[in-house]
Amino acid sequence: MTKISWSRFLFLMTLALVLALAACGGDSSEEDTSTDDASTEESGDEESSEESGEEGDAATGEVYNYEDFEKTVSKTGDPSGEGTLNIGYSSDTPFEGTLNWAFYQGAPDADMMAHFDEAVLAMDADFQYTNEGAVQYEMNEEDNTVTFTVRDGVNWHDGEPLTIQDYVSSYEIIGHPDYDGVRGSTDGFTLIEGYEEYRSGDADSISGIEIVDEQTAVFTYTELAPSLTAGGFWSYAFPTHYYEGMEVSEMAAAPETRENPIGIGPYKVDSIVPGESISMSKFEDYWRGEPGLSEVTVRVIAPSSIASAVESGDIDIAKSFPTDQYPDVADMEGVEWLANIDGAYTYIGFKLGSWDAEEGKVNYNPEEMKMGDVELRRAMWHAIDNDAIGERFYNGLRWKATSLITPYHANWHEEVEVPAYDPEEANSILDAAGYEDVDGDGMREDTEGEPLSINFASMSGGDIAEPLANYYIQSWRDIGLNVELTNGRLIEFNSFYDMVENDDPEIDIYQGAWGVGSDVDPSGLYGPDAPFNYTRYETEESTELLTAGNSQEALDTDYRKDIYNQWSELMVEDIPVIPTLYRAFVTPVNERVINYSEDYEWNEDLLWYRVGVEDAE
Amino acid sequence: MLKFTIRRLIISFPQIILLSILVFFLGSLMPGDALSGLIDPTVPIEQIERLREQMGLNNPWYIQYRDWMFAMLQGDFGTSFFKQQPVLDVIGDRMLNTVWLSLFSAVLIYLIGIPLGLVSGRWNDSPLDSLITGYTYLGFATPTFIFGLVLLLVFGYTLGWFPTGGSVGAGVTPGTFEYVVSKIQHLILPSFAIALIGLVGTVQYLRSGIIETKQKDFITLARAKGVTEGKVYTRHIFRNSILPIAAFFGYEITALLGGSLFIETIYGYPGMGRLFLESISIRDFSVANVLILMYGMLAIIGTLLSDIILSIVDPRIRIK
Repeated sequence: MTKISWSRFLFLMTLALVLALAACGGDSSEEDTSTDDASTEESGDEESSEESGEEGDAATGEVYNYEDFEKTVSKTGDPSGEGTLNIGYSSDTPFEGTLNWAFYQGAPDADMMAHFDEAVLAMDADFQYTNEGAVQYEMNEEDNTVTFTVRDGVNWHDGEPLTIQDYVSSYEIIGHPDYDGVRGSTDGFTLIEGYEEYRSGDADSISGIEIVDEQTAVFTYTELAPSLTAGGFWSYAFPTHYYEGMEVSEMAAAPETRENPIGIGPYKVDSIVPGESISMSKFEDYWRGEPGLSEVTVRVIAPSSIASAVESGDIDIAKSFPTDQYPDVADMEGVEWLANIDGAYTYIGFKLGSWDAEEGKVNYNPEEMKMGDVELRRAMWHAIDNDAIGERFYNGLRWKATSLITPYHANWHEEVEVPAYDPEEANSILDAAGYEDVDGDGMREDTEGEPLSINFASMSGGDIAEPLANYYIQSWRDIGLNVELTNGRLIEFNSFYDMVENDDPEIDIYQGAWGVGSDVDPSGLYGPDAPFNYTRYETEESTELLTAGNSQEALDTDYRKDIYNQWSELMVEDIPVIPTLYRAFVTPVNERVINYSEDYEWNEDLLWYRVGVEDAE
Repeated sequence: MLKFTIRRLIISFPQIILLSILVFFLGSLMPGDALSGLIDPTVPIEQIERLREQMGLNNPWYIQYRDWMFAMLQGDFGTSFFKQQPVLDVIGDRMLNTVWLSLFSAVLIYLIGIPLGLVSGRWNDSPLDSLITGYTYLGFATPTFIFGLVLLLVFGYTLGWFPTGGSVGAGVTPGTFEYVVSKIQHLILPSFAIALIGLVGTVQYLRSGIIETKQKDFITLARAKGVTEGKVYTRHIFRNSILPIAAFFGYEITALLGGSLFIETIYGYPGMGRLFLESISIRDFSVANVLILMYGMLAIIGTLLSDIILSIVDPRIRIK
């Protein structure tokens, strides 16, 4: 017993020290380490392929709830069309500068591009395509075709009109055999007839795409999956004329991409300082109407000084603001704080099998695995207090997760009842399941009476990583489970996923995070043939539900919601993972900004081109 | 002299080859490659494997090394997967920024450091000397990143005298006078942050050099000959005390060219330091390897430079 209390003492000391230090240092300049984050479906601004792990700062003790924040600035109305808006983008690293939707790699590039180019297919709050954009679509379920039509009067920044060829070109470039980017393997591409033949170089064109006239094209799909309208269709146009005569392999590095990119958005690029800033000015011919500002600049600003930049009025809006700094600067003057839910969740995964590389599928094998007993996993869930973690470590800006269908997908999310924090219950579950302390060392042995030692892998990065991992370990030790850190320390990002991916026997449980894309379909993370199904869990029931969720029938939202709800409940029953925390982001906006919104809801009056600033006086 | 330089350069060649092999080998031991960070369900494993095959990442390290070397001999330094840009372009962008920052910092270091060292050495143990040495102790103890942040907060945000980040203002056209001014304005804070901390070594070396030299017999002799005090310092003492600084000059320049991670991060200044860290953490070996090789070459050139400077300053150690 002394051993336990000693380690608890140490833990508390560490925690106290960390908190005390966090209290002193308002500015944290440490490296942001990436939590892994991937989107289940790519599309427009919903995509994030990498995201910084925020560190909490529990020192101020205040607990916030993102729902108490506004999503839109208080000043709305018609913008004057004059003035300059300065946007800061919080990042430790310069943006890469591959400013073309077909080629970019990093999320910062996407955020930069969104200021001067826009998705031709608009999306509503449920991340479903609508016909509000520059391109409209019409599905025909009888013959599995979709007709895309470009609106009249949409122009590129160089004055050329947007044609359907520009939309089709996106597919032709991403699917091109010489294309060496990562896109082009999602339903939106692979379901098009003749796409694979084109991609492998066997065909010169994609047979399923037929251009009818300047503005219309008909795409034929092998199947109309619901994922298509949830970010599946590629949602950007490619300025075909601008890259005329260029080989696909040269496009990414061309000056047309890096120095003078064009788009169809409300502002056109004037100049770019590589990795640092983009200056834009009003594009008078913008198709929706007159943009609300005369100039816009976007600058990358170090997270350590972004709060000061907002406070001094240097920037009007701070995007991807480091959430952990919020409690320290919450009462900043002249600034409105907006918040909304982030499309990501943190989870603890249990290794329940292995990856069969030959078959390309999961080999679910709980009998052989240490964590194979669902009662053990349930007890571990009861043992951890995620509400307390959210409040203490993240000031409430992260909070207890329930369903794997996150509230970000509000239309499909439903609260699921999950095992509550209850160490007593956890103990009794373990007792009943036969995990008893046979040798009297305070730690339970497994059902056979053999010592049970569980290895927990967790990533390094940020102030919180270590105390958080320790907290979990301590919580499990409190119910008599001997949990230890894999390798005895936190693991660096690349090594971590290297081990998790390769089903390293040193890992029994691990903590990770997923970003969710615009499509609610979780089969890319939990499906039987998904390599990212790191827990290697797969049952017939789960697979059936996941398949049903992305079937043609699931085009009906109610049906789909019901399916995913059943699946969420199944996940709570079978517990391949414990979803631990949902998260919110905050955005400080200067009071002089009008019409700026972080709402996912589609609102014609709050679109990017409507954002303006009040007169200088 | 020329012969010496050429000989040194020839000797350094195998050193660089060895360094590159070592770097490549160690890199191959690190978990992950350029594609392992792509944990995204929209990118199927087959595609990642296809890219790996295409980029030759599945080959053993010595094969990769051979291919890399051959390509480099033909002037192809590779392409960064993340930046979708040739490695030389990636480095070139950052290098230019770093060269400017280093140049500014080096000038400041010597411009401020040498007079301070001279003053405190000549009038050692005076109140002024105590002040200067006091400052150098403080400088030794202050971490650059704290100092950089304080400068940024005070002069950038509170007083608003200088821009707070980046290497040049947004929207200024390259080539114009405005552009140059903006560049210089952006350099002032970071280069002072580097220089004010970086110069303490110079001050200390110079100070102790002077104090030591002025007790030497030949100084007494010079004074006995009736050389004026001013000339004693400029002609006899200074030249002898500058040796350690001259010896370090080459290293100093290479170190500055390596970039300053902290300062670059704080000021959002895209330079070599951050590029190196980024490339390592995302396993962008195509960039990282070239960078390490370059640093290796810089170190060798720096040493050479130091030797050459030394032999100019001090005829006694001129190579026969």
